[in-house]
Amino acid sequence: MAERTTFRLRVRFGKLGRLRHLSHLEVMRALERSIRRADLPYAVTQGFSPHMKAAFGPALPVGTAGLREYYDLWLRELVPAPEALARLAAATPPGMAPGAARYVPEKAPSLSAALTIARYEVGVGPAVGPEMLVRAVEDVLAESELTVKAKGKTKVFDLASVLPEEPRVESSGSGSTVVLTTRMGATGSLRPEALVGRALECAGLPHAITTVTRTDLLMETEGGFMRP
Amino acid sequence: MRDDMWARVEPLLDGVERPARYLDSEWGVRVRPDASYRVALVYPDTYELGMANQAVAILYDILNEVDGVAAERCFVPWKDMAAAMRAADVPLHTLETLQPLRDCALVGVTLPHELTYTNVLEMLDLAGIPLRSVDRGEDDPLVIAGGPCAFNPEPIASFLDAVLVGEGEEAVLELVEADRAVIEAGGTRADRLRALSGVPGVYVPTLYVSADGSAQPGCGAVVPADAATPRMVTKRALKDLGSVRPPTCPVVPYMDVVHDRAVVEVLRGCTRGCRFCQAGMVYRPVRERGADDIVHDVMATLRCTGHDEVSLVSLSTTDHSQIEEVLRRLSRSLEGRAVSVSLPSLRVDSFGVEMARLVAGGGKKAGLTFAPEAGTQRLRDVINKNITEEDLLGTIEHAFGAGWRRVKLYFMLGLPSETDDDIRGIGRLVHKVLDVARENTPKDQRGGLKIGVSVATFVPKPHTPFQWEPQLTLPEVRRRQEILREAMPRRGVDLSWHDPDVSFLEGALARGGRELSDVIEKAWRSGCVFDAWTEEFSLPRWLAAFESAGIDPVALASSERDPADALPWDHISSGVSKRYLLRERERAVAGVTTRDCSFDGCTGCDACGDLGLDIVLGGASRG
Repeated sequence: MAERTTFRLRVRFGKLGRLRHLSHLEVMRALERSIRRADLPYAVTQGFSPHMKAAFGPALPVGTAGLREYYDLWLRELVPAPEALARLAAATPPGMAPGAARYVPEKAPSLSAALTIARYEVGVGPAVGPEMLVRAVEDVLAESELTVKAKGKTKVFDLASVLPEEPRVESSGSGSTVVLTTRMGATGSLRPEALVGRALECAGLPHAITTVTRTDLLMETEGGFMRP
Repeated sequence: MRDDMWARVEPLLDGVERPARYLDSEWGVRVRPDASYRVALVYPDTYELGMANQAVAILYDILNEVDGVAAERCFVPWKDMAAAMRAADVPLHTLETLQPLRDCALVGVTLPHELTYTNVLEMLDLAGIPLRSVDRGEDDPLVIAGGPCAFNPEPIASFLDAVLVGEGEEAVLELVEADRAVIEAGGTRADRLRALSGVPGVYVPTLYVSADGSAQPGCGAVVPADAATPRMVTKRALKDLGSVRPPTCPVVPYMDVVHDRAVVEVLRGCTRGCRFCQAGMVYRPVRERGADDIVHDVMATLRCTGHDEVSLVSLSTTDHSQIEEVLRRLSRSLEGRAVSVSLPSLRVDSFGVEMARLVAGGGKKAGLTFAPEAGTQRLRDVINKNITEEDLLGTIEHAFGAGWRRVKLYFMLGLPSETDDDIRGIGRLVHKVLDVARENTPKDQRGGLKIGVSVATFVPKPHTPFQWEPQLTLPEVRRRQEILREAMPRRGVDLSWHDPDVSFLEGALARGGRELSDVIEKAWRSGCVFDAWTEEFSLPRWLAAFESAGIDPVALASSERDPADALPWDHISSGVSKRYLLRERERAVAGVTTRDCSFDGCTGCDACGDLGLDIVLGGASRG
């Protein structure tokens, strides 16, 4: 069967408020349903069990919010991007509202392969003062490696490689925020709360992490980091 | 208020399994903060089970259309969340506006089966509502139950202020209207209950007493305490399903719930007349929805929810007189959209297989499920399961010839009059099914061929012709299971059992009277909750509860009742007369079958006459 022409629409969305408690699977299913409600002419995969042709960026864990997340959706017909965006916005719960939509070349690399850089903000409650937090983070960064144990597995991260930018601490009205950029690798990604949690633990401070938000997802190019 | 409450709830979510159960904010939620009369609709189990319940979805839709009324969902938090809520002193609340249940005007609980009873107590306790109706005060909500267990509400009656028997679409509006009028007029809780008992189909347990205080458990009539209370509470049923608008924009869960798909009801009732089947007796008569309505609602529901699957539900969907037309129209409309249609149950004949084929199209052929229920013709005649061995084998031939490779068969153990030979008959039948399946499967595909065989223990239920029959004792179930295991083919069969311990408890609770309230409360106090969850169920804890209440569960489940004696559910009428049930019982003993009255003439169950209804086929009354 000849491949029909399809159009690859890249949609940016959020995972905000209460919806940060959803799993990646739950987010994917909810967005697929919003696409059907928007009545966009989505393409369907060939094969024994046909389904909507869509691809999502890197997963966000349960509890982590996202400001600029992405999915690609293949359409059978070209719907002007602003119209597609408006239809999606009308059919999506506010916490996952689409923020932008544009067509990308069919041959563009997949989101999951292209998006290797993630920026995060980790909120820390007022139980830990900003100065103490700065010192705690510095102490952890002084080591070259970070060992993380999760679900019975131990992972060792080379900090120079997973942290392409120096983390920084900002103080806000009700506590402080650790702003950090991580590089996601084939062997796994460093969870930002693991790094901050370790910093607090080593410094003997309370585990006062309040929120974790992925603020940006970026592609790494020779010239630096770029949004998809 | 709402934000304050969320600020108390959200910190609990980081430490619990599946927080999506507690979030609200789904597509399709109805938030009506300004309503003056708030109803909590409770499903007494977790979110993922409750969101699959159609009764909750229907009542949610109907009540939220009423001016000044808000209906909000509430499910029982899983054990981890319940512990966190108790530790943080967070009362059980609705999802939509986080209203504590104890501040609602009405708490409506659906009771799908007996194993949810302890969850009802858990719900009340988490909400801070006194467990027993008699202990509730003016500021407590009215707790009203409905659903299948309303047909024998006695075991749980002490915890309920009222029970709505039968279909709720019209009755719930009358009930809310009656209650609002009393509240408006400044009436007391007693006035509210009195007003509810005046609504047809509503039973108010505190207005009734046991006629004979010395009656043994599971026997004895329940009668009105005064002359102003109706002697008999007759179930509510819609004359015509076309008169109500089913929900086409239900709430769309985030979480992977049970039956995660759109649901459209195609008909209500079933008159095949299987003598063990409570649903087939209490939801009479058959009322079909018209093909146009069904097709319209399927398309509207898919558009509004974005689901990729729709299930056409009822007690026997492939019996709908226009099902073929409906499925053909749907497969045309849904072409190329990767949206599938599913049928929950199939008739045991070629027509059933053809309908399954229409639904599957060229795509995936999921397994087919058939329910012969018994292994010999003699026993199938006793239970009035009007299918023959030829029907079943012909169906299997057709299904495997059409490309299906997986079939599941349902049987019951311990049906009235069952002999060891009937049990071996299940083995013989499965052997034949396996042979036919092999013959109709290409040689290279025969290796992986499997027949699923699922065996449940028969539980006699109220309002059926078998309501007087004894249930097998546990040792006898085990003996008969051994016989069945011996008789089964050694290869090509996946044999599974419904846990006999669970069926035993179900049987003891199903036919008990009000004396079981103490047992249920003791069981809950000793830690029984989520009894329908295999890993949570504990028969020893339940047995201890029975013992400390001085009630013998074996006598309750496994002794034969005398048809001359009153039963604890005699004051609840499903419309089907006791006379008919007794006649069907005699015919069962004689091995005589009874035809389906929807197609072959009236069999005299009295439901139509008692309820002022008629059979409705294809959306039009047969008249």
